[in-house]
Amino acid sequence: MRFAAGVDVGSTQTKAVILAEDGGQSGHPARSSDHVGTPPESPRIVARAVVDTGAHVSRAAEQAFHAACREAGLDPREIGLVVGTGYGRYKIAFGHAQVTEISCHARGAHFVFPETRTVIDIGGQDAKVIRVGPEGEVRDFVMNDKCAAGTGRFLANAAEVLGLRLEEIGPLSLQATDPVKLTTVCTVFVESDILSYLAQGRRPEDILRGVHLAIARRTVSLARRIPIEPAITFTGGVARNVGMVRALEEVLGLSIHVSPESHFMGALGAALFALDRLKRRAEAGAAPEERGWQ
Amino acid sequence: MTEYRGEIHRRQKELMQRWYARLDESARTGWPPAICLMISGNCVELLEAFGIVPIYPEVNALQLAIRHQSLEPILAAEELGYATDNCAYVKADIGAYLMGVTPSGGRLPRPALVLCNFVGCNTYLKWFEHVAAFMDAPLYVLDIPFLRREEPSPDDVAYVVAQLKEVVQRIETITGLRFDPDRFRDAVRCSQRVEELWSRIKHLARREPSPFDAYFDAITLMGPLYVYRATPEGVAFFERALAELEAKAARGEGVYDREHFRVVVEGPPPYPYFRAFRDMFARWRATVVASTYSTVGGIWEFGFRHDPDRPFESVALHMLAHNLTNRNYLQRYDQIRRYVREWNADGVIIHFVKSCRLFSAGQGDMRDYLTKVLGVPTLYIESDLEDPRYFAEAQIRNRVDAFFEALERHKSAAQRMITV
Repeated sequence: MRFAAGVDVGSTQTKAVILAEDGGQSGHPARSSDHVGTPPESPRIVARAVVDTGAHVSRAAEQAFHAACREAGLDPREIGLVVGTGYGRYKIAFGHAQVTEISCHARGAHFVFPETRTVIDIGGQDAKVIRVGPEGEVRDFVMNDKCAAGTGRFLANAAEVLGLRLEEIGPLSLQATDPVKLTTVCTVFVESDILSYLAQGRRPEDILRGVHLAIARRTVSLARRIPIEPAITFTGGVARNVGMVRALEEVLGLSIHVSPESHFMGALGAALFALDRLKRRAEAGAAPEERGWQ
Repeated sequence: MTEYRGEIHRRQKELMQRWYARLDESARTGWPPAICLMISGNCVELLEAFGIVPIYPEVNALQLAIRHQSLEPILAAEELGYATDNCAYVKADIGAYLMGVTPSGGRLPRPALVLCNFVGCNTYLKWFEHVAAFMDAPLYVLDIPFLRREEPSPDDVAYVVAQLKEVVQRIETITGLRFDPDRFRDAVRCSQRVEELWSRIKHLARREPSPFDAYFDAITLMGPLYVYRATPEGVAFFERALAELEAKAARGEGVYDREHFRVVVEGPPPYPYFRAFRDMFARWRATVVASTYSTVGGIWEFGFRHDPDRPFESVALHMLAHNLTNRNYLQRYDQIRRYVREWNADGVIIHFVKSCRLFSAGQGDMRDYLTKVLGVPTLYIESDLEDPRYFAEAQIRNRVDAFFEALERHKSAAQRMITV
């Protein structure tokens, strides 16, 4: 049995995934919808973990990795290779290599949905659209500029203004009957916009639907630059928000793939790259990698 | 990275220090007279004919940025009312003047004339109006018609030549110096020779590996190119530069131990983070084999030369047609297309400059042209050439890394096809 790990240090959360090649216990039950992928039998995900990144990036990476090892019932030394991704990838002291989350999301999305040609990834502080080749390779990508407009942070601010928990806003937005037209996707100004709608007596669900549609429109206009080719897979933390999935589908006029692994797609891609290296090394008959976490 | 540090680096430093010393001397003693010029399509030959020293506000601005000293002058200019999206070169230059700051620590003279060689960048018009107002100096605007077709018309050339001759008279009146046509021809002859040498240096980057980086290293050579082009010191400097780089090429030495990628860059560098930006390329052993930024002052690698037999006409032609900023979008596309093909590049990186609306506008379409029409992998990144507030290192590094990761897969796939 061969084990490899991917650790994705994002701006908000740090995710870890452990893959096992050949056999092992399946880590995740697949859902039954048409657009929910079932990761292949091998390599298979044996564990995943998520922690808040916070101020200590290296520590968050270590915590996520160790939590995943515990879940898998593995000693960290049994993990043959670790690839880091995300903004904090260079801070992962025990990692053996770094790959950007752009390549990792493409790889992860292609692993779960091999027909993926476009990946939309919305994370805590950025949004990106990646054009993917038939082997999961990055063909092209576009990202928002350094402002966090239209990202997960925007949704978090909207939830806060309305006094709701983040996980409540997606389902609530689906109950809208008369969505508001939001004039901004600015993460800062959204607060005053929402307050003014509340002052006009608009319902929170209508405001939230407007919030989700505003992000969807911005993301789709980003996507049209490369351009969009189906199948589309939605990844990143925001893909867990059902309101965002529906809003994107409405604006795109297409259905999109969402996996229960969407939040872990970067870490999954990183783990796949780790496995590649491990296999190449085994084929070359090289000595195992020095492990930095010992 | 085996960053090249040859004799030319020492000489470049010496030449630039000598230039600043002359400016300081001019400020202290009033001699030699100094004239403000813009880099783009500059007519330094005309000044050299009088023995007048050029002041380049852009060079001052970028020198401040590369030394991490640009933010304070920018803020000083913004306090005065300059908007956040005004050209950051202008703000750094004006702010530094108001604060009494210079990159060399020496003084800058009051110019005898503010000579705005307006070639495409309309910010220049306002910038030099402000310089003239702040410094209480006379202003002359050379109105260079934008290049609408492949070549300028005879009327365009005659129009510019007439203005150049008027400027000569104006300089004579202001400074009391006499224009010497022989000295002008000598200056133009020096330029012709420097342009030939510079062009040969640029063509060395077609070798694999390229012996120098035509963006990051080219910047070292650009100071002497604009300040000393029309002088024998300039000729000696570029002879030396060509000899050193030819020797390097003959030894098969590249910028890196093993050159891995060859790219073209469009747009000026983020000077406040010059080192960090270069490191992003070095990590991937990516050599920039051609850059449009190194042609702002003049495009010589495609054959144009100043001509001592037609000094005024060739200065006019240089300003009209043979510099980056006076050319239209299709010509800019074509320049990049030629670089990719003839310099054998793997991809293009476009650096969008937030505070340069004029030359960054349309770069999204340029990216589309390169990726969709030519099929050339192209990365688009945004920051600024002068204002450090626009540079987000983690985000830019992320994009650059992802671009090279994708190129890497592209390359290994192509390699597999070849070996199969």
